[in-house]
Amino acid sequence: MPASQTGTFRRVGYTGWSAFRFKDPTFPVWIGAAILLVFLMLLPLGAIFRASLWDDTGLTLNRYFEVFTNEQFLKAIWNTLIISTWVGVLAVMTGALLAFLVTRTDLPWKKPIRALVMASFVTPPFLGAFAWTLLAGPNAGALNKLYRAVTGSEEALFNIFTMPGLIFVMALYSFPFVFSMIANVCELISSDLEDAAEILGANKWRTAWTVTLPLAMPALIGGFILAFLQSLSLFGAPAILGLPAGLHTITTQIWALFQYPPRLDLAAAFSVPLLLATMALIAVQKKILGRKGYSTVGGKGGQKRLIHLGLGRVPVLLFVFGILSLSVFLPYWILLKAALSKAWAMPLTWDNFTLHNFSFAFFEYGDTQRAIYNTFKLGIVTATLGTLLATLIAYVTHRNLFRGARYLTFFALAPLVIPGIVLAVGLFIVYTRPPLVLYGTIWILFVAFLTKEMPIGFSQAESTFKSIHPELEDASRIIGANRLISLKDITAPLARSGLIAAWSFIFIGVIRELSAAILLFAPSSKVVSVVIFDLKEEGQVGVIAVLGTLMLAVSFLVILGVQWFAGRDVVATRE
Amino acid sequence: MANVSIRGLTKKFAEVAAVDDFHLEIGDGEFVSLLGPSGCGKTTTLRLLAGFLQPDGGEIRAAGEVISSPAHLVPPERRQMSMIFQSYAVWPHMTVAQNVAYGLKFKKLTKQEIEKKVTKLLGVVHLAELKDRYSAELSGGQQQRVALARALVVEPQILLMDEPLSNLDANLREEMRFEIRRLHDEYRYTTVYVTHDQSEAMTTADLIAVMNGGRIDQLGTPEDIYARPQSEFVARFIGASNVLKGTARDENHMSFAGATLRVTGAKLTAGQSAAVAIRQHDIEIATQAPASRENTIKATVTRQVYLGASRDYVVETADGNSLRVVTPTETAVDKGREVWLTLPSDRCRALDR
Repeated sequence: MPASQTGTFRRVGYTGWSAFRFKDPTFPVWIGAAILLVFLMLLPLGAIFRASLWDDTGLTLNRYFEVFTNEQFLKAIWNTLIISTWVGVLAVMTGALLAFLVTRTDLPWKKPIRALVMASFVTPPFLGAFAWTLLAGPNAGALNKLYRAVTGSEEALFNIFTMPGLIFVMALYSFPFVFSMIANVCELISSDLEDAAEILGANKWRTAWTVTLPLAMPALIGGFILAFLQSLSLFGAPAILGLPAGLHTITTQIWALFQYPPRLDLAAAFSVPLLLATMALIAVQKKILGRKGYSTVGGKGGQKRLIHLGLGRVPVLLFVFGILSLSVFLPYWILLKAALSKAWAMPLTWDNFTLHNFSFAFFEYGDTQRAIYNTFKLGIVTATLGTLLATLIAYVTHRNLFRGARYLTFFALAPLVIPGIVLAVGLFIVYTRPPLVLYGTIWILFVAFLTKEMPIGFSQAESTFKSIHPELEDASRIIGANRLISLKDITAPLARSGLIAAWSFIFIGVIRELSAAILLFAPSSKVVSVVIFDLKEEGQVGVIAVLGTLMLAVSFLVILGVQWFAGRDVVATRE
Repeated sequence: MANVSIRGLTKKFAEVAAVDDFHLEIGDGEFVSLLGPSGCGKTTTLRLLAGFLQPDGGEIRAAGEVISSPAHLVPPERRQMSMIFQSYAVWPHMTVAQNVAYGLKFKKLTKQEIEKKVTKLLGVVHLAELKDRYSAELSGGQQQRVALARALVVEPQILLMDEPLSNLDANLREEMRFEIRRLHDEYRYTTVYVTHDQSEAMTTADLIAVMNGGRIDQLGTPEDIYARPQSEFVARFIGASNVLKGTARDENHMSFAGATLRVTGAKLTAGQSAAVAIRQHDIEIATQAPASRENTIKATVTRQVYLGASRDYVVETADGNSLRVVTPTETAVDKGREVWLTLPSDRCRALDR
């Protein structure tokens, strides 16, 4: 009866409680995932700082002294700064202009344009750089040959093996980052704000200049930093285009320090400034983009009216496709042509046509079969375990399962500030000595890729969890399912398309990775990107083209698969 | 079945107590409703009961065993409870039958037994025809029934409901109230039902706990709560009451607006300030002075609205107190007219707090 203070307590049905009073049986899983993540991130970074600061005699700053007084190293830093600044500027100009045209004007063919920007995004920069050596190499480059044929000149029009050439190629594959960032902002800026300016008498272009541009300013600066960072950490493109001209960047210099005789300590010391610069820039970027009410102007925004380009539509469209032909059409065309011809520099006629490159690449050339096998194995294993770990971590942070769980976000996103080659230096130091010697096996690459792809997997998993009502899971827990079973039976199936997307992003990231792999591979653990890099030295253009085409084809198939699946999923649940 | 004993329960979020020294004893098979405005801590209390939250102080016992305390927490899945959620939380990737059968997975039952129980429960909530549908193909009311069946099929010791009807449209809500009560009468689970809707609480519950500021303000039967409010908060929150503030003359008289009102309820202390509640429809309005002058006050009509079934007045006494009065439609009094209000003494309830 109510209000009784000493009710008669029956024990029927409650015998199982005492045994589990203190423990959540799933707790070890969550804490285990958290510890794994923290170790994954802290070990390589700790190793770099340690190797750069300690020698046999103890703590020393000698390595830093050596690095920062050496003229060659300083030159590499200087080159990197110049290149990255220019890449940042060019990428912002192109990316922002394209984003504006696609989101705010009545430019036709927006969907194909977005798809092509996406294609530039997916193209590994080292592959683009390689394609551009075929297009604009000073002697045999296709564009230079065309120029000579048309003008009769003896000179080359372009030489891609120069600093401007390198900047040009890197900008081509950095602008998609800026594009997606600015396009998001442009879609948020409501036309109301612009209308206000127009009522005051500004014309459309003046409005764009005085209202839209300032509103987009944080995103523009954020985009610049993103592109700058991207080029700071790239290894493939500078190695392919810069090294033949004797042009070193920080990343190629670190790589050079690993060649015989290896100077690990200097590589570590040289990695630290790159690491610190990246961290500082990300912090600045977060600060700029984090200012609320400014960067996400007007929330979901009101109606958007499109600027009419009028007669300008055709030239603008040509300009857009001009840019996209530089990043997609021309490189893809030359790769395909090289893959299908006996002599890549000759016109693709029936006489010159061959499938030999394919049979050679897949069946005859020593390294490729194994590399393809390794690449797919690493891609699948990393994507699967990476998605699993990212899912567990995102779950822990999202549900705040234990004290301090929120700080795991920091660790999961930490690799964003670690350039691939720096990560590789750290992992090399950690895993070439006991207790865990992974160097020489494929597993050191697995650890590198798992670490490097954690941010993308984590962000994807986290945003997926955010979209699932927590009560769906509470409902299964209260009727008998523990956390882990609830995650398996309820949350994971509902998160399926989001987690499949996470898997695919990691997979694509892994199969195109070069900058970490280049320091960590052993003869038996080569991957496709490393083989392409090696073949470059041997001048095996046909085989490179075949492998590059394969890499691109697989990436696009995976993306199409995800889109198909996500689309189908939406239809199936009808929500 | 099990009784539930909550003692000194406290839960803080960022140093603010959402539930503050909460005491409640719920008898075996009893249906208690936690009623209160949003932010009063009722949902937090329910989530503490379910084990989704761990208390910062106090304890919860079920059938005598401590299931929640700052040091102990039996996880939700081991509490032998069921819960019905505001969002229904019907799993969209399972059919109706799969939703209902899910909780039986964790009991040692054969396939036939599971099927039998599911079929029976689907019959009880009138969903047998729809057992192969997905939630996207169900109406709100049907989803609610799935949630009910899913919660009941596991034969819980305790059933928790978190505003289960608030997302339904008005007609359906009324129907489901009686449905919930019917199911309770059939199965007699110890039930805790959270709502902000007083008529919902009154139709369903044996006992209503009106909550305010993380505590129970008044606990009683629906009739207790409605007819005999003890505090100003309950008087205002439950039904439509005027709360008159004046000075006590003796234990059952109060001065108000130049008159002396005879009141019932709490004993007053002469000379102290006092508060008296009276419902809007218990006040009578007359344009002429009534024969008996007991408990009458003079006032002026400041607003009159015709609502179809009734008239809604705002009147003001000479000393500036405003009262709301609801009358039958026949007595139309224009704005600005002087009126006599009669406040029957058995309807004037002196409040403790």
